[in-house]
Amino acid sequence: MTLFKEFTKGFIKENPVFVMALGLCPTLAVTSSVVNAIGMGLAATFVLVFSNIFISLIKNLIPSKIRIPAYIVVIASFVTIVDMMMHAYLPAIHKSLGLFIPLIVVNCIILGRAEAFASKNNVLRSVVDGLGMGFGFTLALVVIGGIREVLGAGQFLGINVLPESYQPMLVAILAPGAFIVMGLLMGLMNLKKKK
Amino acid sequence: MKYYIKLGFVLFIITAIASGVLAYLNTITQPIIEENQRVAQEKARKEVLPSAVTFEEVVGELTYHIGKDTDEQVVGYTFVASLYGYSGDVKTMVGINTDLIIEKIKVISQAETPGLGANCEKLEFQAQFSGKQKAEMKVDKDGGTIVSLTGATITTRTIANSIRSAMDKLNIPTEETDGEVE
Repeated sequence: MTLFKEFTKGFIKENPVFVMALGLCPTLAVTSSVVNAIGMGLAATFVLVFSNIFISLIKNLIPSKIRIPAYIVVIASFVTIVDMMMHAYLPAIHKSLGLFIPLIVVNCIILGRAEAFASKNNVLRSVVDGLGMGFGFTLALVVIGGIREVLGAGQFLGINVLPESYQPMLVAILAPGAFIVMGLLMGLMNLKKKK
Repeated sequence: MKYYIKLGFVLFIITAIASGVLAYLNTITQPIIEENQRVAQEKARKEVLPSAVTFEEVVGELTYHIGKDTDEQVVGYTFVASLYGYSGDVKTMVGINTDLIIEKIKVISQAETPGLGANCEKLEFQAQFSGKQKAEMKVDKDGGTIVSLTGATITTRTIANSIRSAMDKLNIPTEETDGEVE
């Protein structure tokens, strides 16, 4: 597979959320607004790229029996770094993402890519894979977040986009709205694939 | 046996490096985080008691701040009222003047339902608290004067009750109020 294809596969063909159905917990929880979606997506992308680099570098040093705990330590370290950095430099986003930053540790996209990709490929390919998957995840979050924010608050990125007379569809920014929007988008993706 | 010692050793090396890096980064970010929180608190205090310029902390059953103007005159007090709301603690910064009448309130942290309880962060809602006394800190359903948010009586009640009970605990020494102007 060419590097470019490796990069773009995460967007549509192997999109972590819509196709592989990975990382659904943060997807459902933080997509009530586009800002949160971008923050979460980029934080996860950062962790994904750096844990991919590290795991790819040390893949031959780690005995296969303890690879999972070793990967988790690497991932947890990068998550903690992101958590501390966001808390210090982006306190507003850190506050609204709350618990979901530390929970990136158990986001199965990251461990999944470490196990399925980074532990079998070289550093360059792992970086490209991490970026592609991370952006695919971010894209999915932003699409879901965008739909929910427009319907549920009449806003996009905090700016009013619908006329004042629009009565916000509250359910869209509550938990059920996340399931409904994600379900419909997954259905659309499948419909497109069948054609 | 030797194999398992090797496994443990490899894991030990990995965790040792990881904790070393994190400890170092923590020493860099910790002061910034604390400074951010201090600045945010200071800003919230200024917002609820705009006439005060400097604040002096008083530690007690309820820690509060004495707000003073440029002439070192006491203009009021600020404190944080906190109670568990519908889905988490609702923290409110409250500013009161020397007659113990509320100047302004500001919800500084909450995790209420978006679109319902989370509307307590709106200025229109918070404005109704201004100019009221402790006894009025009850929602209309409980016989008070605070108008509930639509679909979020619990949140509104939490805020009103938290302010009332915080003011109960507020222990302002009388000599402090002697500095009152007029």
